[in-house]
Amino acid sequence: MTLKDIRSVIDGFDATRAQMEDLAETGQDFANEGARFQTRVASLHPKRLALTVSELVEETATTRTLRLTGDAGTLPPFLAGQYVNLFVTVDGVETARPFAISSAPQECGHYDLTVRKIPGGFVSPWLVEGLQVGAKVSSSGPMGSFYVNPIHHGDDLVFLAGGSGVAPAISMIRDIAARRLPVKFHLIYGSRQTDDVIFQRELSELDAACDFLTLTQVISEPNDTYQGRSGFIDAALMSEVCGEMTGKTVYLCGPPAMNAVCAKMLKDIGVTDKRLHIEANGPPVDPTARAGWPTGIGADQKITVTVNGRGSFETTAGEPLLNALEKAGYQVENACRSGECSLCRIKVLSGDVFNPSEAKLRQSDRRFGWVHSCVAYATSDVEILL
Amino acid sequence: MKDYDAIVIGAGNAGLSAAATLQRGGMRTLLMERHNIPGGCATSFVRGDYEFEVALHQLSGLGTEDQPAILRHVFDSMGISDKVDYVEEHHLYRYAVPGVIDITLPASVKGIISVLSEAFPAEADKLKPFLDLCEVLTLEAYMAYPRAKATGDPEVIKKNCRNFVKYGLRNAKDVLDEFFDDPVLKGVLGGYWGYMGLPLKELPFSDLGVMLYAYAAMKPWHVVGGSQALSNALLDSFLEAGGDVRFNCGAEQITTDNGAVAAVRTEHGEIFTTNQVVSNASSILTYNQLLDRPELAGDVREDFKSRRMGVSGFVLYLGLDCTPEDLGIEVATNFIANTIDDEAQHAEALTLDGAPKGCLFTCYTVGDETLAPKGKSVVALMCLQYGSAWDNVKPEDYAATKFAYAEKLIDLAETVIPSVRAHIEEIEVATPMTMMRYLNTPGGAIYGFSQGIAEHGAVRDRVRPVHGLHLAGSWSGMGGFQPTYQAGASVGGSILRKQNKKAG
Ligand SMILES: Cc1cc2nc3c(=O)[nH]c(=O)nc-3n(C[C@H](O)[C@H](O)[C@H](O)COP(=O)(O)OP(=O)(O)OC[C@H]3O[C@@H](n4cnc5c(N)ncnc54)[C@H](O)[C@@H]3O)c2cc1C
Ligand SMILES: Cc1cc2nc3c(=O)[nH]c(=O)nc-3n(C[C@H](O)[C@H](O)[C@H](O)COP(=O)(O)OP(=O)(O)OC[C@H]3O[C@@H](n4cnc5c(N)ncnc54)[C@H](O)[C@@H]3O)c2cc1C
Ligand code: FES
Repeated sequence: MTLKDIRSVIDGFDATRAQMEDLAETGQDFANEGARFQTRVASLHPKRLALTVSELVEETATTRTLRLTGDAGTLPPFLAGQYVNLFVTVDGVETARPFAISSAPQECGHYDLTVRKIPGGFVSPWLVEGLQVGAKVSSSGPMGSFYVNPIHHGDDLVFLAGGSGVAPAISMIRDIAARRLPVKFHLIYGSRQTDDVIFQRELSELDAACDFLTLTQVISEPNDTYQGRSGFIDAALMSEVCGEMTGKTVYLCGPPAMNAVCAKMLKDIGVTDKRLHIEANGPPVDPTARAGWPTGIGADQKITVTVNGRGSFETTAGEPLLNALEKAGYQVENACRSGECSLCRIKVLSGDVFNPSEAKLRQSDRRFGWVHSCVAYATSDVEILL
Repeated sequence: MKDYDAIVIGAGNAGLSAAATLQRGGMRTLLMERHNIPGGCATSFVRGDYEFEVALHQLSGLGTEDQPAILRHVFDSMGISDKVDYVEEHHLYRYAVPGVIDITLPASVKGIISVLSEAFPAEADKLKPFLDLCEVLTLEAYMAYPRAKATGDPEVIKKNCRNFVKYGLRNAKDVLDEFFDDPVLKGVLGGYWGYMGLPLKELPFSDLGVMLYAYAAMKPWHVVGGSQALSNALLDSFLEAGGDVRFNCGAEQITTDNGAVAAVRTEHGEIFTTNQVVSNASSILTYNQLLDRPELAGDVREDFKSRRMGVSGFVLYLGLDCTPEDLGIEVATNFIANTIDDEAQHAEALTLDGAPKGCLFTCYTVGDETLAPKGKSVVALMCLQYGSAWDNVKPEDYAATKFAYAEKLIDLAETVIPSVRAHIEEIEVATPMTMMRYLNTPGGAIYGFSQGIAEHGAVRDRVRPVHGLHLAGSWSGMGGFQPTYQAGASVGGSILRKQNKKAG
């Protein structure tokens, strides 16, 4: 340049321009930077994982474990207790359900999902009865905050599991054993009948092998020959097997009804919010029974949903909007299907929508009409924006 | 006819502001965002009973209702003023280095002078001249200089921008040294260096001086509902004006025709035609990855070589089961360090081997209780960290590494605010990898390129090689909230003006 830059009158301008030239000598054009960091991110948090069902293990008459192997080799690491959202097509409907990983994080070639068939369920019967070895499925990456957090959970851990809720517990136990963590872990595991106990053999083996582990099993509907503990997990049982709860961190993962009852019981015996971690439950079993559900509207009430610019369909008030959308052929991103992760967020343009307490909505989402469709119920005709 | 008059890629602050400006200005605009929520950095998330602000510590540039400053006008022009509520913070910050100093600067120029005069009587007489300089520098940098430069006459610049000419591009350390002797006083006044991510000797003084003056005169603000409320309001304004938005919809390619923008292809394979694209994605990605013919970027790629990757952050989002009073804090913004040496603090940002020497403890529930359940608090505890510190952490070691560093950060905070750990009810740990994941930002950089003197707007030339492709955001200007909102509005405004000229 022959003409002097007018900005040269600023002290330091010329020196800084010279410095830029020096920088350019040793700098880079960042041509590969995008691919580089995106690959690293994907190794931790892939958007979708391509998986193959490599093994199926009958655990009980209603439960089996699906061993899923990554088509691209090792799978992203996870924290024991986390879940993946499994994407499937059932009866022509593209949908998904979250499942905790029951294998140990140290086994990085596969994820085990232990699935119990829910009577009347849409997906779990198909997973337990329909899925074959060799089938291709896909999932989200591992997600969720239901894991042993070394920062503030302490070293005295109690896990209340019901039914398939033992899946994250066994992963935690396997992880603690593999890493020799300096903690105590007490698993209190409730099942209906002795035949329903998942991982009976593995748990007995772990119990024998691991000093850190205490195992308490409870059967609610014992048969005549059963000798162990029976009944429900209640305050009396807790005080008998756990004693003083102060300083203990409690994890709770069972069917929705158990979670509700146990959460209340634990609070009554002095377990604070801080010490209690409850795994997500899915949408409420009966939203019409919740506080705030409009009177006079039944779960079967017919509702028309209009998707802004993309047609409309009919559903019922008691069906979560996400499920209704999937059945009508619309795709909405999702993961937890329990109101927590916000991936299924949609905007309500008009009409009334009921948000149960599961919906962990941001303050400003409420203000501007955004809802989490997995736990949102249209209680009048609505128009939404996807 | 094109599908859209304009397409905005990315719904960060700059993308939202550009989109709202364009659509309200009458251009049919499509906004596409790869994440499921607007805001980019300007977002929040919920865990248990807590809502965590991701990025906004103190909003600058608003001014009070009686004395509105530039950002209020920008927000007015985008139609969001009645959609958002703000909370005024009455302090700039507390600056605490145990054993050395623990002092709180009020949010007013007079207040700062009086507090510092008392603490540093020997240097009291230099405080007013210093803050006066910060004030005139602010006026010159934003008002006088752009006008003077437009005249093309260096003499006008010299005459009308005397202070900017003398101090604007000098490094902040140098200028602090010129005014003051006491290293502790210089540490206190330089406290905001962390908001720009570089130690004082590498920062242009105008950036530090403007920031100090702007927060003091125009006050720091919190937003009710956090920065997500601003993002949601901007989107709402855009939608009300008739704009189209797509979430979970990353742009995959910007297609050109004869060197000019022709269309955008999404990750789902849809193609939308347009002549104007505003990219809020990093310039690195826009030119190297999105542009169908990266060779078109020619000069830009050369320009990149004179830039350096900016800093990211390591953040703990804490839900505490106690009130700020229980913690003994009265101020939202707390700079906590074990040394007044900013260079030593910054050096820790490059590695995970040591421990953080400085951090920022922001308690959002001071002054606004709505983000946490009654009797509880929300805190962001943050230190600077470069993405490169994580380059060699194996995926299987990622979680353990982040928890280990989190412990060190909590240890540092506890030297001033004891018993933080005992009150933790919820905690999320975000690393530079987290920023990369959610923002698609190289290096996890939160202010774009490293904000040194060589990045200053007064020394950079604008390079815009592709007709119809505009950049807006922290990678093509200053990072941070106020600058990116303004950048978006200004890019949107300039496209509108050109369009209207053509039409008229
Ligand atoms: C984070 C997370 C982790 C999970 N991990 C596991 C796991 O490891 N193993 C496992 O088997 N399941 C797990 N679940 C439950 C699982 O995702 C499904 O909800 C369950 O398999 C039922 O799906 P479905 O399609 O058969 O029933 P749907 O068609 O979704 O529901 C049918 C009816 O069953 C009710 N229902 C849904 N889930 C349950 C439940 N768990 N118990 C009782 N009633 C229910 C529904 O409210 C509804 O009334 C997990 C859920 C979450 C949110
Ligand atoms: C933890 C943290 C703390 C901070 N603290 C402060 C502070 O106290 N004060 C302050 O002023 N600033 C602070 N900042 C910085 C400030 O938040 C940012 O500089 C500013 O918000 C950047 O805005 P932006 O518009 O440039 O882009 P971003 O917020 O980065 O948004 C870019 C958007 O583009 C989207 N995108 C990227 N690629 C694509 C694609 N291909 N297709 C579609 N969409 C795409 C991204 O998903 C994202 O939503 C902080 C940031 C962080 C993360
Ligand atoms: S899928 Fe997680 S909130 Fe709906």
